[in-house]
Amino acid sequence: MNKKAILIILTALAVVLPFFTGAYVLSIFISIFVFLSLSLSWDMMLRTGQLSFGTAGFFGIGAYASALAVANLGLNPILSIILGGLFSAIIAFALGFVVLRLREIYFAITTLALTHVFSVIIRNLSDITGGASGTILPNAIFNGDPKLIYWAILLITFMVIGISEMFKRTKIRFAINSIRNDETTAKSSGIDVFKYLLLVFVITSAIQGVIGAFYAQQFAFVNPESTFSLNFLLLPIAMALVGGIYTTSGPIIGALILGLISEYLKLLIPYGHLVVYGVIIVLVVLFLPEGIFKSVKKLFASKDNVGSDINAQS
Amino acid sequence: MPSLETKNVVKKFGGLVATNDLSFSVDNGEILGIIGPNGAGKTTIINLIAGTLPVTSGKIIFSGEDVTNFAAHERNQKGISRTFQTVRPLDDLTAIENIMIGALFGQKMGLKDAREVAKEICKLIGFNNFDRSIDQLTVLELKKIELGRALASDPDLLFLDELMAGLNMEETYELIDVIRKLQKRDLAICVVEHIMKVVKELTSRVIVLDQGQIIAKGPYEEVSQQKNVIAAYLGEDE
Amino acid sequence: MSLTKKQYIMLFLLALIILIIALWQPHALIYGIQRGSLYALIALPLALVLGILGVLNLAHGEFLTVGLYLSYMLYERFNLDPLLSIIPVVIILSLIGAGIYLLTIKHVLKDGHLNQLLLTFGVSLILIEIINIIWTSRPRNVFTSYSYSSMSIGNFSFGTYEFLYFFMAIAVLILLQLFLKKTRLGQATFAVGQNPRGAKIVGINVSYVYLFVFTLAVAILGLVGAVMLPRTAIFPAVGSPFSLKSFALAAMAGLGNMNGILIAGIGLGIGEAVIKSIPGAGGWADIVFFGVLIAVIIARSYREGN
Ligand SMILES: Nc1ncnc2c1ncn2[C@@H]1O[C@H](COP(=O)(O)OP(=O)(O)OP(=O)(O)O)[C@@H](O)[C@H]1O
Ligand SMILES: [Mg+2]
Repeated sequence: MNKKAILIILTALAVVLPFFTGAYVLSIFISIFVFLSLSLSWDMMLRTGQLSFGTAGFFGIGAYASALAVANLGLNPILSIILGGLFSAIIAFALGFVVLRLREIYFAITTLALTHVFSVIIRNLSDITGGASGTILPNAIFNGDPKLIYWAILLITFMVIGISEMFKRTKIRFAINSIRNDETTAKSSGIDVFKYLLLVFVITSAIQGVIGAFYAQQFAFVNPESTFSLNFLLLPIAMALVGGIYTTSGPIIGALILGLISEYLKLLIPYGHLVVYGVIIVLVVLFLPEGIFKSVKKLFASKDNVGSDINAQS
Repeated sequence: MPSLETKNVVKKFGGLVATNDLSFSVDNGEILGIIGPNGAGKTTIINLIAGTLPVTSGKIIFSGEDVTNFAAHERNQKGISRTFQTVRPLDDLTAIENIMIGALFGQKMGLKDAREVAKEICKLIGFNNFDRSIDQLTVLELKKIELGRALASDPDLLFLDELMAGLNMEETYELIDVIRKLQKRDLAICVVEHIMKVVKELTSRVIVLDQGQIIAKGPYEEVSQQKNVIAAYLGEDE
Repeated sequence: MSLTKKQYIMLFLLALIILIIALWQPHALIYGIQRGSLYALIALPLALVLGILGVLNLAHGEFLTVGLYLSYMLYERFNLDPLLSIIPVVIILSLIGAGIYLLTIKHVLKDGHLNQLLLTFGVSLILIEIINIIWTSRPRNVFTSYSYSSMSIGNFSFGTYEFLYFFMAIAVLILLQLFLKKTRLGQATFAVGQNPRGAKIVGINVSYVYLFVFTLAVAILGLVGAVMLPRTAIFPAVGSPFSLKSFALAAMAGLGNMNGILIAGIGLGIGEAVIKSIPGAGGWADIVFFGVLIAVIIARSYREGN
C-alpha cells in the first residue's frame, strides 16, 4: 500500500467517524483537531525561524470577536467563525509592522506579552466583553449537535493542513526556509523578508482566530481566564515537538498521540495531568530535537537499511 | 553610462570609519579589482552597495538610478548580486534549490522556470550534484553554489568577495574561466581578492583600499609598484 | 554603588514623580514602593541568570511559587513561622534549583534561544502541574499577626510589613554587588559574564560558576517566597506573572545594570499603584508592565536598526 492510499483511507475514516461513535469519543477528537490546528499554525510560523508565544493571544481575540458578534449583533455563528479569523488577521497585520522587526527571544517575549495585553484589555472593556466573568451565548453552534460540530472542525482542520502543505510545496517554502537559515542570504537573493514574515504571521494568526472562534461557539462561552489560557500555547508546542517541527505530519501525529494520552491521564489525575506536556517538552528539547516520531522513524529506517544490506549480500 | 557609480560613500561603525568618501565606478563588461589589506573596508563597501548595510552618507547609483535607499532585496531584483566571503548556503535546501532561490525571488520566476535557470547555471559553472544536501558538498562546490545563487538573479552587476580563498590552483583556474565567460555576457564584475594572481589574470583595473580610503587606482601592474600600496600591504602576506 | 549619569537623571525624575504622587496619592506611593521593591527583588536573580548564563528562564516565577509552597508546607506541617522557614526553604529550593539546572538547563546553554525558551517553558509547566497534583488549585494562605501591622501618620494609615521588601531589595542589591566585586567567586562570575571563553582560558571553572549562579538565583527566590507568604494568597500560578514582569525590568534597566532594576521596579510599582487607585480604572494596572515591556523592546529594536 502506498502513502496516498493510506492518506485517503485515513481521511475517509475521519469523515465517517461520527457514524460509529458516540458524543464522548467525538468530543475527544474535536478537541484533538482544535489543538492540531493550533499546533500546525504555530509550526508554520516557526518555519520562518520565529518562535511565537502569541498563539493563545490570537486564539483569544478570535474567540471574543466571534462570541461578541453573535451575542451583541446577532451574527450567524458560522459567519462569526470567519469573522474571528478576519479579526485576528487584521490585528496581526497591524501589529506585524512593529513586532516583525524583532527576532529570537525578543519576538517570543513580545508575542507572549501581547497575549497578556489582549486579555487585560478584554477584561477591562467590561461593557462590551462582560469583563472578568465573560460572556455566555444563548446557544452552542449547531445547537450543540456533536456530529455537525465534529464535521465543522474537521473541515477547518483539512483547510489548515492544506495551507501547511501549500507552504511546503510552493515558492513560499523557499522563502521561509531561506529566512530561517540565513536572513542576509535571503535578502541578498531578492527575498522580501518582511513581506513573507508578515504573510505567514497574518495567515497563522487568522488560523488561530478561526480556531478560537470555533472554540467559543462550541462551548457558547468566553472568559478572559480560560479563553486566553496558556494551554492554547503550551499544548500545541508540545504536540509539534513530539511529532517533529517544520513538517505538516509532525503536529498531526503529535496532536493525536498527546491528545489521546492526556485524555486517558485526565481520568487518572484530574489535577495536573498537563504535567505530561511539560515533561514531553523538556525531554524532546533535551534528547530528541527532531521530534519523537521522526527519531523513531529514523531508528526503524536505519534498521531497515541494515536488513537490506544483509539481503544484498546474501 | 557606468553600471555602478558610488559617490562619496561613508560608513561609520560607531567611531570606526570603515569606508571614507569612496567614489568609483564600474562599466558593463569590465572586471574591477578591489584590493587592500585585512580590514580595509572591502567587504563593507560590498555590503553598502548590495544594501545589507545602510550608508552613513553618500550615494549609490546603479544603471543611472539612485538606489541608496532601496532595500537589499530590491537591489537584488534590480540586478545587483553578490557572493559572501564565507559561504552562506541555506542548509535546509538542496544544492540546486540553493541556486533556484536567486531565480525565484531575484527574477520573480515560478518553480519550473527557476529550476531550468538553475540547471543552465549549473552547466555554466560546472556543477552536477543537483540534489545533494549542503553538508555533502566540497569547498569548491560550496563556492559554486554561492556563485550560482548570485547568478540566478540574472545580475547586471556582480560582486565576488574572495571567491577563490581556500581553493587550490586548479580549482581557482576553473572559476577564473567561469568569470571570463560572465564578462563576455557584458556583466559588470567586481572581484575582491587577496590572491594577486587572480587579480592579475582577471582585472583590467583595480582600486586599492586602505583604512576605508582609496589610496591608488589603475591597472594592477602599475598600482602594485606604487610605494604607498606596498607600504599598506607591508607585513601582509599575499 | 556607583551610578552612571543616566541613572542620576532617572533617580532625579523618580524622586520628582514620587514627590508629586506623595502629595496627590500617598497610599499609591507607599503601596507602589512596596510592590515595586518586591518586583525588583524578584527580577534581580532573573537578570543575574540572564546576564551570566545568557538564558532567559521562563520558569523563574515558578521557582518563586515553589518557594511559597515550601514555606506554606512547613507552616502547615510543623507550624513553622514563615519568617523562620526562610533557612530551610532556601536550602530545599536551592537543591531543587541545582538539580533542575544540572538535569536540564545545563544542557541547552550552547543551544539557540529557541531551545532555551522552550525548555524553561516546559520546566515551568512541570513545576506548576506538580504543585497542582500535590496541593490542587485551591488558593491557600497563612495568617501571622505581624504581617498586618500598620502605622499611621495623622489619619493616614498604611501597612508596614511590606516595607520589608524594600529593605530586602536594597540588601540583596548591595550584597550581590559586594559579592561580584569583593569575593573571588564573585570576580570569577563577573568575568564569566563578560567573556566566558576568556574566563575559561584563565582557568576559571565556568560550568561551576554557572551552577553556582543559577543556584544563588533560585535561593534568593526561596528567601523572597518565605517573606512574601504571610501577605500572599497562593495558588499554582501565583508566581507565573513574575517571569515576564522580571524580564520587563531587566530589559528596561539594560543588561548588567542591577541598580537600574530597583529604580525601574519602584517606578513601575508606583505606576501600577497609581492606576489601581483611580476609581473604575484599576483593572488597567496590569497593562503597565506588559505595555512597558513591549515598548522597551520595540524602542530598542528601532535604536539598533538605525
Ligand atoms: N558590522 C560591523 N560592525 C562593526 N564594525 C565592523 C562591521 N563590519 C566591519 N566592521 C569593521 O570595519 C572594518 C572593515 O571591515 P571589512 O570587513 O570591510 O574589511 P575587509 O577589507 O573585507 O577585510 P578582509 O580582507 O579581512 O575581509 C574592520 O575594521 C571591521 O572590523
Ligand atoms: Mg572582507
